[in-house]
Amino acid sequence: MLAVQGLSRRFGGLHAVADVSFTVPVGQTLGIIGPNGAGKSTLINLVTGHLRPSAGRVEVAGQDLTGARPWTVAKAGVARTFQIVKPFRGMTVRENVAIGLLYGRQGMRRMTAALTAADEVLDRVGLAGKAAATPGELTITDARRLEFAKALALRPRLLLLDEVMAGLRHTEIDPSLELIHRLKAEGMTIIAVEHVMKAILSISDRVLVLHQGRVLTDGAPRDVLSDPRVIEAYLGHRYARREQ
Amino acid sequence: MTSERGEAAAVPGLTRRADAGRDEVPDGGAARHGGKAPPSAASTRSPVTQRAWLPWAVGGLVLAACFGLQSQLYAGQERTVATVFMFVGLAQAWNLIGGYTGYACFGQVVFFGLGGYTTAALMAHAHVSFWLALPASGLLAAIWAALIGLPLLPLKGHYFAVATLGVAEGTREVVTNLPSLTGGGAGISIPTVGADATTGYLGNDGFYVLFLLLAAVSVLVVAIVSASKLGFALRAINQDEDAAASLGVHTTRTKVSVFALSGFLTGLLGAAYGFQQVTIFPARLFDVNFTVLMVIMVIIGGSGTVVGPVIGAAFLQFVSEYLRQHFTEAHPFILGAIVIVAVILLPQGVVSYAGSAWRNRDFSLLDNIRKYRL
Repeated sequence: MLAVQGLSRRFGGLHAVADVSFTVPVGQTLGIIGPNGAGKSTLINLVTGHLRPSAGRVEVAGQDLTGARPWTVAKAGVARTFQIVKPFRGMTVRENVAIGLLYGRQGMRRMTAALTAADEVLDRVGLAGKAAATPGELTITDARRLEFAKALALRPRLLLLDEVMAGLRHTEIDPSLELIHRLKAEGMTIIAVEHVMKAILSISDRVLVLHQGRVLTDGAPRDVLSDPRVIEAYLGHRYARREQ
Repeated sequence: MTSERGEAAAVPGLTRRADAGRDEVPDGGAARHGGKAPPSAASTRSPVTQRAWLPWAVGGLVLAACFGLQSQLYAGQERTVATVFMFVGLAQAWNLIGGYTGYACFGQVVFFGLGGYTTAALMAHAHVSFWLALPASGLLAAIWAALIGLPLLPLKGHYFAVATLGVAEGTREVVTNLPSLTGGGAGISIPTVGADATTGYLGNDGFYVLFLLLAAVSVLVVAIVSASKLGFALRAINQDEDAAASLGVHTTRTKVSVFALSGFLTGLLGAAYGFQQVTIFPARLFDVNFTVLMVIMVIIGGSGTVVGPVIGAAFLQFVSEYLRQHFTEAHPFILGAIVIVAVILLPQGVVSYAGSAWRNRDFSLLDNIRKYRL
């Protein structure tokens, strides 16, 4: 589904992402972890077109999307969530979701049809009762759900989740996990950047570790997390002890 | 912020208050940063279909009333009302780019001036009928908007405002320095009588109808855009451009097209104004005051709404005219004071205030000020 070849991005002298290559087959969920500043968000932004790569190649389902603008990437079926939720605050929840239906891969033309279809998407993420609310009235959990709904409105083939669990408490994580598992069951290809290990272990088929912009290791979640290099360098001794 | 919300959720009493506060904060934030008020919640909250004909019916009635009003006015009053119509059109044009899209253009007068000069040059030099010069003026203004929009619309906030201001001043200088085409600083006259006249002067009655129709077209365009898919994209860009782009909105194309549309409407009004004035000068047609008035009218009325700029333009223009006649000396001073008070009391504009006041059954202006933390 996604093939990334030698992707690099420099900010001045800093190699935020350096020569990163990996592929994600259809239906797989790839977890990306790494310490702060490892280049995880930059990598997501390079794939979604919010940043242009200095070098390398991005391909989605055989379509070359290197350096494509965000709307082109969205229309190609790649949806993303943002680390900080980005609702349209002056619109209702329903209207927030309608945007993706109107302008995404489906490209609906009629407002009324898009608003009706938005209700179906909201139902999928468990926000059906909040369709007429404004984003400011939502709880933090519901705000995350809205972020999911907006992404799903694009009818994506590939879903990029940028720290969707950040700032959630343990009990608040479960609904999001359940939703991701449901999407996995439907065959969605997912890339999840995440700090919450419980989440990574729960959803990932495979984990890739970034460090200083480079791929450190890439493999099955348990193997990667027990890799001494990963524990020492990125997760620190405290996490290593807790795991044992 | 995250943990705050989490804690508030644990205490029922707190939750309600936190929610009430949060509801208004984004609006306040938007309004304080250059009048980027969101669309009135009244129009976005209600279901789309119910009583959708009502605004159109009211609009039609107002239009018919304006036609009927004409015969009841003295010549001076007719001119005043025609000017109000012109400003309704101008405010609506600015509303598209500044209100809906959130790009405060401080050089909007450039399209007005270009429209006036295109019409003057076409009628004086090329002997073209006004009715051909009018659309040509709009078109040229639209092309200029698209050309300057491509490099300027990636700029945000103050940078866009300052850059467009610079373009307007620069364009005025260019027009001033092309005397063979524009008459330079001495101005250019449109032949309105005799053999040279391509279209006879329309007179008070004619310009009243012309400005009324142009205002009606502007309101209609904004109403259609507002209810359409495009209007949604504009609001999305206004509220979060990155999120809009990641949901498939081609932000560059959308912004440039709406800027061109805004320029087109402004150009039409400039053409009509130029013809009405007969002799035009760069200092007058490119006067920055036109831009300032458009901005104030939209903000007072309610930016990003269909009705707001109409109310803002009518209010400001009538008050200004009244003060000019009754307080010749102190007129600018009093008008300035009124604008300041209006913006302090109603930072989100009359229409948005009325909408939220009606919903919350809270008509206190003090509460309104507090809500926007001014």
